[in-house]
Amino acid sequence: MLGYAGVSVGYQGRPVLTGVDLTLEAGQRLALVGPNGAGKSTLIKSLLGLVPVLDGTATVLGRAPAEARDQVGYVPQTDALDAGFPVTAAQVVMMGRYRRIGWWRPARGADRQAVRAALDLVGLADRAGKHFGTLSGGQRQRVLLARAIAAEPKLLLLDEPFNGVDVVSQEAILRVLRELTATGTALVLSTHDLTVARDLADIVCLVNGRQWAAGPPATTLTTDNLRLTYGGHAIDLADGRTVLVDP
Amino acid sequence: MIEPFQAPFMARALAEVALLALICGPVSVFVFLRKLSFVSDALTHTVFPGVVIGFVAGGLEGLFVGALVAALVTAVVLTLLTRGGRLSDDASTAVVLTAMFSLGVVLVSRRSSYTSDLTSFLFGRLLTVTPQQLAETAVLAVVILTLLAIGARALVFRAFDPAGAAAAGYRIAWLDLWLNLMVALVVVAAVRAVGTILVVALLVVPAAAARMVTARLPVMAAVGTALILFSGYGGLWLSWTASIDYGVSLTSASAVVLLLVASYVVLLLLSFLKGSRRELVG
Repeated sequence: MLGYAGVSVGYQGRPVLTGVDLTLEAGQRLALVGPNGAGKSTLIKSLLGLVPVLDGTATVLGRAPAEARDQVGYVPQTDALDAGFPVTAAQVVMMGRYRRIGWWRPARGADRQAVRAALDLVGLADRAGKHFGTLSGGQRQRVLLARAIAAEPKLLLLDEPFNGVDVVSQEAILRVLRELTATGTALVLSTHDLTVARDLADIVCLVNGRQWAAGPPATTLTTDNLRLTYGGHAIDLADGRTVLVDP
Repeated sequence: MIEPFQAPFMARALAEVALLALICGPVSVFVFLRKLSFVSDALTHTVFPGVVIGFVAGGLEGLFVGALVAALVTAVVLTLLTRGGRLSDDASTAVVLTAMFSLGVVLVSRRSSYTSDLTSFLFGRLLTVTPQQLAETAVLAVVILTLLAIGARALVFRAFDPAGAAAAGYRIAWLDLWLNLMVALVVVAAVRAVGTILVVALLVVPAAAARMVTARLPVMAAVGTALILFSGYGGLWLSWTASIDYGVSLTSASAVVLLLVASYVVLLLLSFLKGSRRELVG
């Protein structure tokens, strides 16, 4: 599904993140954990072939990342989008079908059906006709998730899907992600929420300029590893847990 | 209200405005969505030296070719300059705009008929539209609307979410070039009739006005077209009536644009009266 070996990624020849070794199988969930500016978004963009791989070997679905885009879904951060843009939730989800529809032909019944099903899955079927900008932050995030689902990807990438998201939407998103992986979709998401990483992921990858650790949550989210990744921002509590201060 | 348009030159002027309305309504929606008002402004200014060179070299026919070449070159240059965020849209656009406009003024100032030439290049000659000009505008309209029909979906996606569109496999630079070329062709189509300065109004005002009454993109395009048609008819009638009945000289293209802007103001006031914008987008 995903194979990174000794990979460095970055812009204009300058690496942002180095030493990435990852493999991911169908139906597995990978959480990229690290502070802001650690290179999480850059790594996700490299999986889409939008940021070049400077070193090492990278394959997505057995192909070069840029050539696998038609099988890869991407959920961007909602705050990058203009809330005043005149589109409805259903129109946003339909964008996930555009590459299938092509340039000329109008949307078919199958496309509209996929849009309805995706909105239904994220629990927003009743908001289909609502203007995107009138939805809450969490609902917008769910609409973008529905857009990625409508494209029927084998690999789904989510960039900080829980930023500025209310509890209801977070629960809805977590439920959908579990359902999707149960049907074989592989998942990569970036987060700085250790609880989410621990609860959701099969593999956790700690990054900050380089990959510091990767593996199952129980053996990876250790105090030592968090200290390596977050430096002085990782504080040990008396009960043995580690918390992050202003990461 | 019909009588002025029985004069053939008035009928041709109206037909020209109608063709421009057909293309400017939809294209202005994309100018609005991409916030390209300033780029459109730049395009109209950079076409100016092309217009002058073309006119000096080959008269009215040369003017068309000069505008076409200048517009296409500008569309490509602007796309390259703003690609990958190397330069901010504003800074690079302003550099291109002022440089080309100055060049145009230098070129036109070398001619003996400086003032009248400058006026017609800047403000157009709506009342002297020839049948051949009409045919050329019609051809451009077909080309522009075809480009628009093919690219519309991808262009909306790119305007809404460039990162998402790139992730879906669209090439953003090509889509930007696509839109810039459409805007350039609109400028070429409109420049002889309404001039390099006023054409920007046709690219910016219709969608901005239509947005006050609707959040649906196809409706925005239709309302934009209707507004240009209304302003075109009203502006031509006004300039005719002012000139024939009252002996007041009123440039027809300016009257058209003034009416267009007036309709924008009316819709703006109406939307205020209707209450908050939330109702409109809801």
